[in-house]
Amino acid sequence: MAGVSTKEIKNRIRSMESTKQITKAMEMVAASKLRHAQARVTNSRPYFEILYSTITDIVDSNLDFSSPYLMERDVKKSMYIVIAGDRGLAGGYNSNILKKVWSELEGKNAVVLPIGKKAVDFFRSRKMELLTENYAEAAAISIGDCFTIAKQLSKAYCKGEFDEIIIGYTNFVSVLSQTPATLRLLPLLQSAGEKKPSDIVYEPNCAEVFETIVPEYLGGILYGALCESRAAEQAARRTAMDSATQNAEEMIADLSLKFNQARQAAITQEITEIVAGS
Amino acid sequence: MTDFSLKIVTPDGICYDGTAQQLTVRSTTGDIGILAGHINCVAPLGMGRATIIIDGQKCYAACIGGMLSVVDGKVTLVPTTFEWADQIDVPRAERSYQRAQDILKNKDSTNTDIKLAEARLRRALVRKSVASSK
Repeated sequence: MAGVSTKEIKNRIRSMESTKQITKAMEMVAASKLRHAQARVTNSRPYFEILYSTITDIVDSNLDFSSPYLMERDVKKSMYIVIAGDRGLAGGYNSNILKKVWSELEGKNAVVLPIGKKAVDFFRSRKMELLTENYAEAAAISIGDCFTIAKQLSKAYCKGEFDEIIIGYTNFVSVLSQTPATLRLLPLLQSAGEKKPSDIVYEPNCAEVFETIVPEYLGGILYGALCESRAAEQAARRTAMDSATQNAEEMIADLSLKFNQARQAAITQEITEIVAGS
Repeated sequence: MTDFSLKIVTPDGICYDGTAQQLTVRSTTGDIGILAGHINCVAPLGMGRATIIIDGQKCYAACIGGMLSVVDGKVTLVPTTFEWADQIDVPRAERSYQRAQDILKNKDSTNTDIKLAEARLRRALVRKSVASSK
């Protein structure tokens, strides 16, 4: 009897060991991808900061024109851009962002633009109206795609196909912490308080600069959110795989102890039998 | 000529951070030249060649999309793509040019295809002309 159980334990140890190898490898892959993603986030941040500050400057100082991008309309239909991952095994990364967006969607008439395979699957199975399923691979989306999406969306927004644009993404706070967030992109928020005319010359004029820069701004934000989300995904996967490896190690230690006990028990029993027999 | 501080920032990172004596870029309405002491201004960029004079040396670059802002004597160029003339991938531009031509010649192309191809063609032409002007 003891023989069977040591064999069983041995098999389990072996299978745990191979699981551990897989999780360890996945952790290392995620760590190396994370380094690239992190570099991209830090590289692209100055661009968005400048873009954002210019936009807010124009919005705050503009006195004499009204743009569809600035006007608050009654929200009849919302547009949600949701960025999730392509693959699972990333801890709570996918479910956190999807859950957050899903709770916000409740009771709203909304159309969704999912980015990443997990987001596409999630909203398709819940029978949401999807704008397109073309962006099912978050890792393959280039900056050019971001600008194409942004142009499309701002055109549709001006036509009145939807009355607000909200993006759901995951903030890469640090390697250990990622928080899902939603952000309203359009209409642009005007800061409260006195407007002060600025001395900046807009070439050719304020309204035209604004009309050209808003789609750029959307594309930029979209790309930024995508970079953040990708870094967050890798960080989440790394942490998840790290703890999986640790759990596997713990289980192996536990099983080794049991294996040794069982082996010792078998030896003791054999000795007892021999002594009793002689 | 007097120097002014120039910063070129794209989504891929900072391309240039230093001083320059003159900057000429293509805006949506035509070329804009910037010298030291320029008035504060903001302009959206078109597609075209940017000429920058750094330490008396003329440098060319393909500069596409984005905007230019001058605030308190500091010039910031925020293009979507910015490639120095010697960093342009000419074979890639050539391929892109051919592909765009094929789509434009094809009678079955849809409207959106044609629009995308036109934009691609213009980008390829800008890159090719900038690469040959160094």
